[in-house]
Amino acid sequence: MADDDAPSDSSLLVIIVDTNPNQRYITEDPKVLTGCLDAVIAFANSHLMQKSRNQLAVIGCHFHKSEYLYPSPGKPLDVRQIDGQYELFTLVEKTIKMRLVNLIKSQPQEERPGESLLAGAMAMALCCIARMRREASPGLRLSSRILIVTGSSDTAAQYINYMNVFFTAQKQQVLIDVCSLDKHLSLLQQGCDITGGLYLKVPSLEGLLQYLLWVFLPEAWERKELVLPGRGRVDYRAACFCHRELLTIGYVCSVCLSVFCKFSPICTTCHTVFKIAGPLPIKPKKKKMKI
Amino acid sequence: MSESSKSKSASNINPSPTLQCKDLHEYLKSRSPQFLETLYNYPTICLAVYRELPELARHFVIRLLFVEQPVPQAVVASWVTQTHAKEQSKACEALSELSVWQEAPIPGGLPGWMLAQSFKKNLKVALLGGGRPWSMSSSLEPDGKARDVAFLDAYALERWECVLHYMVGSAQTEGISADAVRILLHAGLMTRDAEDGTAVITRAGFQFLLLSTAKQVWLFLQHYLHTAEKRSLSAAECLAFLYQLSFSTLGKDYSTEGMSNNMLVFLQHLREFGLVYQRKRKAGRFYPTRLALNITCVKDGIAPLEAAASTGYILVETNYRVYAYTQTTLQVALLGLFTELIYRFPDVVVGVLTRESVRAALRGGISAQQIIRYLEQHSHPQMLRSETAGIRTSSVLPPTVVDQIQLWESERNRFTYTEGIVYNQFLSQAEFGVLREYASRCGFLTWHSERARTLVLTRAAHDDVKRFWKRYSKSS
Amino acid sequence: MVNAMKGVLVECDPAMKQFLLHLDETLALGRKFILQDLDETHLFISSDIIDTLQARVDDLMDQLSFPIHDKGL
Repeated sequence: MADDDAPSDSSLLVIIVDTNPNQRYITEDPKVLTGCLDAVIAFANSHLMQKSRNQLAVIGCHFHKSEYLYPSPGKPLDVRQIDGQYELFTLVEKTIKMRLVNLIKSQPQEERPGESLLAGAMAMALCCIARMRREASPGLRLSSRILIVTGSSDTAAQYINYMNVFFTAQKQQVLIDVCSLDKHLSLLQQGCDITGGLYLKVPSLEGLLQYLLWVFLPEAWERKELVLPGRGRVDYRAACFCHRELLTIGYVCSVCLSVFCKFSPICTTCHTVFKIAGPLPIKPKKKKMKI
Repeated sequence: MSESSKSKSASNINPSPTLQCKDLHEYLKSRSPQFLETLYNYPTICLAVYRELPELARHFVIRLLFVEQPVPQAVVASWVTQTHAKEQSKACEALSELSVWQEAPIPGGLPGWMLAQSFKKNLKVALLGGGRPWSMSSSLEPDGKARDVAFLDAYALERWECVLHYMVGSAQTEGISADAVRILLHAGLMTRDAEDGTAVITRAGFQFLLLSTAKQVWLFLQHYLHTAEKRSLSAAECLAFLYQLSFSTLGKDYSTEGMSNNMLVFLQHLREFGLVYQRKRKAGRFYPTRLALNITCVKDGIAPLEAAASTGYILVETNYRVYAYTQTTLQVALLGLFTELIYRFPDVVVGVLTRESVRAALRGGISAQQIIRYLEQHSHPQMLRSETAGIRTSSVLPPTVVDQIQLWESERNRFTYTEGIVYNQFLSQAEFGVLREYASRCGFLTWHSERARTLVLTRAAHDDVKRFWKRYSKSS
Repeated sequence: MVNAMKGVLVECDPAMKQFLLHLDETLALGRKFILQDLDETHLFISSDIIDTLQARVDDLMDQLSFPIHDKGL
């Protein structure tokens, strides 16, 4: 299992790239996506450059499905060097670009782009990590983390899925890092805080690669040695299960801990029936007896 | 201060010096800056050097990679938390040693750091592309008789064991060229017998056998590069090619087209040791094997990328028993160097680590560390697995065994010897003080006593001190 | 006038130092080899004796240890 303190032999990084076309920075100028993608690829290769045993997976997250961009399922592409770049890096770059084109082409044309399936992509990443751990040779210390690069805005629609993923990751000792390209994402920030990862909202897209390299390249045990942006205040408001709105005060089911913004006599999650339908009766005060 | 200087010089009188295996970092450190400068013209070397750097140094480099001006040293220092200042200075030292960065003044007089131009350029090329392709990547027709990974592994293992078997003088003596023998002799792993001129294994040779395969290959190649310079092969070119191989993909074929004659000769040598596979000398294509890929894993603590089948065969129990599942005589012989073998079956050998057997090995110049590393490196997968359930220790071996082997070694080292010269019978306290002051300033002082007015200085210092003393006596 | 002697500085624990003094006094190695007794844990000896001395100490350690190993034969 990963150990935060000891240096690992090998580090597995799963990058989730949000490619949803309705992100604001893409609708404003579609060319920026290429720039961001190049930055992510260069960052991915820098991760592989750190150690010969480092591993990488990249998942593209769209509004209709999530898919592995690297490594491609099946036989890897046959890549020959075209310039002085390390062969493996060329392979990474080619594979990601090719598979991303396929992913975008496969999107249903008639549908209006919905929300990015980030929670699903994270679940995929956790599965990938679990598989790598199972397949790793005995005695190998493998540390794993997930990096999410997204420009989508925060919605509470996938709140429960998010929370499930966050706590699974925490249990599996997987760090979740989030790099937000556009808005502040309070839900994902909670995930970073729960799993011990870093959250960064990039001030400008110009120097994206530099931000990535500075903040997200160091591994968990190296981060203690470097001065990195702090956690800051985390907004821990929960979303209610009925209307997906963030709440400060709400009703909580005493059996399954589901959160509701309005009182309902039957819990929609675990179907518990609450007997007291009205406000609690005020108990008569007990008089202290004098002996 | 006398403590530190003692331990440094103590090793040179040690009767049996242990074999030194430098990693890439240490190897490059011992080379001249000009040599490094030519090396950094190869993107492969830059990549390899980058991976050899300490973790913090790697982050420094990547942060400076896209910066064109020198960066103030104070800024670099501020990247690291106060509590890890020691790691930071170590990282800076490593970068300076390998001339990866140079000091550069910043307008305003602050000292700054700047990455070496060629290093920066070529690391970028390796990471992001651009520049010329590496020499062996010309396109090839698909190979009609392509070789798979299993075949290459078997081939590499067989070729390398050929060299090892030759060293221990086992039955197989064919299949090793005069060049290889010359390298073994040059490295001091074998020596010519005084009587009949045949090559016999030395103490260093036995220690060599105990190293991991990756280390063996690297050490061997290091000596090859030394001898290569004499044969008008450029060490830089060879090293670049070697690292190019190590960054290639296993099971893929590469073209020999466009390679210089020198490199073709080098390729033939590598073929002999099993680092590359070629069907025919003039085949025009070759397959790198795992031996070549592992060159980058020489550093301690990095498990080599060995095939699962060829790894671990040794089980060590807390009662000092050693079970080795092996058939090769070489492995049995190696185990016999430091264990007392008690049973031998067709495919398993049982031995026990005893004080006598370990001491015999220690007397032969093998260090406790080497024994422990050998047992660790060849641990049976079962040993590695059993560990993950319980408490994690630094070693997969039973702690009792590790400690005991170290104790057996340390009981032999109850003395530390330091060659030196004793100075006594000073006429006055002042004279004593002057000489002590001078010696400690120059770093000669190993031991001193105020009360007895006695100094012990290093052997090399004698002439210098004599001159100083003459000058001093004249002036006073 | 200052006196200078070449040799080897030996650092060891006090017990081993006493053993060395004993070897020196009884001429167990055939001759005297201690050039100067410096302090509790330091001695200055002649350099050509080291190999013989090391062997002698090995012998001592052999005498001191008792094999308690069960070889399971």
